[in-house]
Amino acid sequence: MTELGDEGVQILAISPDSNERSQELARRLRARYRFLTDPDLAVTRRYGLLHANGGPQGQDVARPTTVVVDRRGVVRWLQLADSIQVRPDPADVARAVRQLGS
Amino acid sequence: MIRYWPALLSVVLALGAIAGYVAFLRVPSVRNHPELYLVAFTLATAIAAVACWRAPRWPNFVAVALSAVLLALGGYFNFVLARVPATPTVLRVGEPAPDFTLPDATGAAVSLASFRDRAPVVLVFYRGYW
Repeated sequence: MTELGDEGVQILAISPDSNERSQELARRLRARYRFLTDPDLAVTRRYGLLHANGGPQGQDVARPTTVVVDRRGVVRWLQLADSIQVRPDPADVARAVRQLGS
Repeated sequence: MIRYWPALLSVVLALGAIAGYVAFLRVPSVRNHPELYLVAFTLATAIAAVACWRAPRWPNFVAVALSAVLLALGGYFNFVLARVPATPTVLRVGEPAPDFTLPDATGAAVSLASFRDRAPVVLVFYRGYW
């Protein structure tokens, strides 16, 4: 297993929800993990990830999406959900992060 | 009972598919292939339908009704309820991620740009339930 550098990897989980997959990913990458709140979904909307009326009670929610951003701030890996049943395999995300190098 | 083994097989297959999917929901290769339970429901329906055709008796009718209802509900969930529509995302591999600043759980402001030159970032957007 390659080292991920002194700073390691920062996972930012956007939208308030406990999420086992993200915690599994954090464990696998030995990454730091922070929950961020996007209360009015402004950032979600700006990213073009708003699933209007997609929530259980018809609320607006985010389209489930995982994005690997390198140290220069460039998107290097991206998975957008087509189904709420499908989630990225933490192993795939970990591989994408390792391929960034340090 | 022996002659109703196809009906029994159909019911076991249909219910087993649900139990297996739920039991292994945390295994990505199971979770990410919901079509597997639809295949199981289809097989269960086919087995029970053949059994009905060969012997039109109530255990076979119960099996075909159960598996057909599960197939219809499973298909509706998979192809309609669980679908997430495509969105006009601005994210492109090879292009910069738009910067943002959002509060964390303690209220501290966190910006994407603050990790520039320091650490790779994995952004995970998900559906919150509130």
